[in-house]
Amino acid sequence: MADDNPDGDPTPRTLLRRVLDTADPRTPRRPRSARAGSQRALLERASSRRLSGQTKMIAKGRSHGARSIGRSAHVQARGHLEEQTPRTLLKNILLTAPESSILIPESVVKPVPAPQVVQPSRRESSRGSLELQLPELEPSTTLAPGLLAPGRRKQRLRLSMFQQGVDQGLPLSREPQGNADASSLTSSLNLTFATPLQPQSVQRPGLARRPPARRAVDVGAFLRDLRDTSLAPPNIVLEDTQPFSQPTVGSPVYHSLPCTPHTGAEDAEQAAGRRTQSSGPGLQNNSPGKPVQFLAGEAEEVDAFALGFLSTSSGVSGEDEVEPLPDGVEEAEKKMEEEGVSVSEMEATGAQGPSRAEEPKGHTQVTEAEGSQGTAEAEGPGASSGDEDASSKAASPKSASSTPESLQARQHHQFPEPAPPPGAAVLSSEPAEPLLVRRPPRPRTTGPRPRQDPHKAGLSHYVKLFSFFAKMPMERKALEMVEKCLDKYFQHLCDDLEVFAAHAGRKTVKPEDLELLMRRQGLVTDQVSLHVLVERHLPLEYRQLLIPCAYSGNSVFPAQ
Amino acid sequence: MEEEAETQEQQRFSYQQRLKAAVHYTVGCLCEEVALDKEMQFSKQTIAAISELTFRQCENFAKDLETFARHAKRTTINTEDVKLLARRSNSLLKYITDKSEEIAQINLERKAQKKKKSEDGSKNSREPAEAGVVGSEN
Repeated sequence: MADDNPDGDPTPRTLLRRVLDTADPRTPRRPRSARAGSQRALLERASSRRLSGQTKMIAKGRSHGARSIGRSAHVQARGHLEEQTPRTLLKNILLTAPESSILIPESVVKPVPAPQVVQPSRRESSRGSLELQLPELEPSTTLAPGLLAPGRRKQRLRLSMFQQGVDQGLPLSREPQGNADASSLTSSLNLTFATPLQPQSVQRPGLARRPPARRAVDVGAFLRDLRDTSLAPPNIVLEDTQPFSQPTVGSPVYHSLPCTPHTGAEDAEQAAGRRTQSSGPGLQNNSPGKPVQFLAGEAEEVDAFALGFLSTSSGVSGEDEVEPLPDGVEEAEKKMEEEGVSVSEMEATGAQGPSRAEEPKGHTQVTEAEGSQGTAEAEGPGASSGDEDASSKAASPKSASSTPESLQARQHHQFPEPAPPPGAAVLSSEPAEPLLVRRPPRPRTTGPRPRQDPHKAGLSHYVKLFSFFAKMPMERKALEMVEKCLDKYFQHLCDDLEVFAAHAGRKTVKPEDLELLMRRQGLVTDQVSLHVLVERHLPLEYRQLLIPCAYSGNSVFPAQ
Repeated sequence: MEEEAETQEQQRFSYQQRLKAAVHYTVGCLCEEVALDKEMQFSKQTIAAISELTFRQCENFAKDLETFARHAKRTTINTEDVKLLARRSNSLLKYITDKSEEIAQINLERKAQKKKKSEDGSKNSREPAEAGVVGSEN
């Protein structure tokens, strides 16, 4: 077949041949976006510069087909096409004919509802009409309209039928081949690549696929834009789920930086946060590993992610120079700070509370939040966005009760970050935000603890243990008696320990006193020593603290 | 060797039995006094039980006292050890503390008497010595 075409003029057939030869076979089971992407990649890879437009049109056609899937018939039509790889489809095209019959599909297309959907897309690309999809979709639906139920055998039937139909239409299609150039604009099933450049250059310059302009990502501007729109547009959020995808809205919004009133809050927070930087949990040292940490954090738990992220953000703050923020921005930041600081602190406390269960609650959290936010702001605002992302990310997966106010506060504090990964983190955290907004605000911090008698505060735990091991329901009075007995028992124990210590002329209770106590209790006997009990019942960490063991360097720990 | 160990065991056992017998006798006497006091009779089994109990408790006391003494890094059992032992029951503790105070006082008095005696003795010894010296000089 390649012989039919002149060498100097690459035809669609040769193009497809090239595609098939170069592209590695892929499994048919792939998500649509991936397939579309792979198809695009296939086509782009094989395309020469001259034919780049054609392939882009093709890819566009494919993407058109992908996006027009909302209708059931179309879904079904697409569904059984999903079974076939692009390779097989292209092979079919090569085998059957580059130009499928124009007349037959047109006549048959009308009664079938599915092609109606295709028609608008067809019209859109009819200028170039280089959509490979259309001929595949329409015949499959037309030839077997009654067999639209998704079934593999039926799908294969349809394709074979399609091949047959196209073969039948082959002699017909040969006629308009000469008129392909003229009729390419109007024909729907036009597979001719003979009119490569015309449609792209003339018709829709905006739709032409250009290589993605890899400019420095200005996520801060993008985030500011988001903030200005008060809620992230969900389609961007939902579609752009790649961690390192770059926002396209960045550059035009960048210049609006001085205008936003919210940026002022950050500097004020920064001033507040500087004092607490030292109290932050050692976040300052991981600047070089920022992207690595970010990647690691993505995979790890939210805790690690939040911590790593904060460290990266603080690292950023530590490294970079202070961006020349205008004074107006600072003032605006301060205003924003006043508004949102209490809320953000609350939220920071709440959001970081679940993410760091081990850290002391209350003030430390707030200072950490401030510190992290302040460090972020120190340089540039992006770190705070990172922190907010971290905290919002921490909040969203961990607890359902993060507040929308925190989101708004975070959005207010989001700023351009010099590196893409934090921006990507913001983007990836964007999906969390609309979800969080929907949930009603719930206070994160638990209310004040019910006042307990300090003497009996710890005994409730033992009483619970007792009731658990009792394996039968117990009366409240019985539990109270148990509590009293436990109280007396522990009192007695502590008195004994005190006396034993005094007996030995000491003021501090030492393990020897405890051993004596256990001997009196009968746990430690001449047959059973304390070390034996330690070995039997305590975990290794305690055992190595209690029982002297020889370590390297001729040292014994604990010292005997 | 084994025979010695056996004989030792036997000796210890016989010694223990004698001790038990002694305890039993003492307990019996005490119970008779209580019976006369309360006008209630004690059965033999009761006395046997009490004596066995007393014997075992004495063993425990001894071990505890030894432990207490070792805990205080001493080799001799002291009244402090005894007080530590008896602190469980308040009345017993009080009784023992009173007794210990009495004993302490007695000890002090004895020490004082001994001191006086020793001082007198030393004075007496010095005076005849001086007298002797003086006498010799004269």
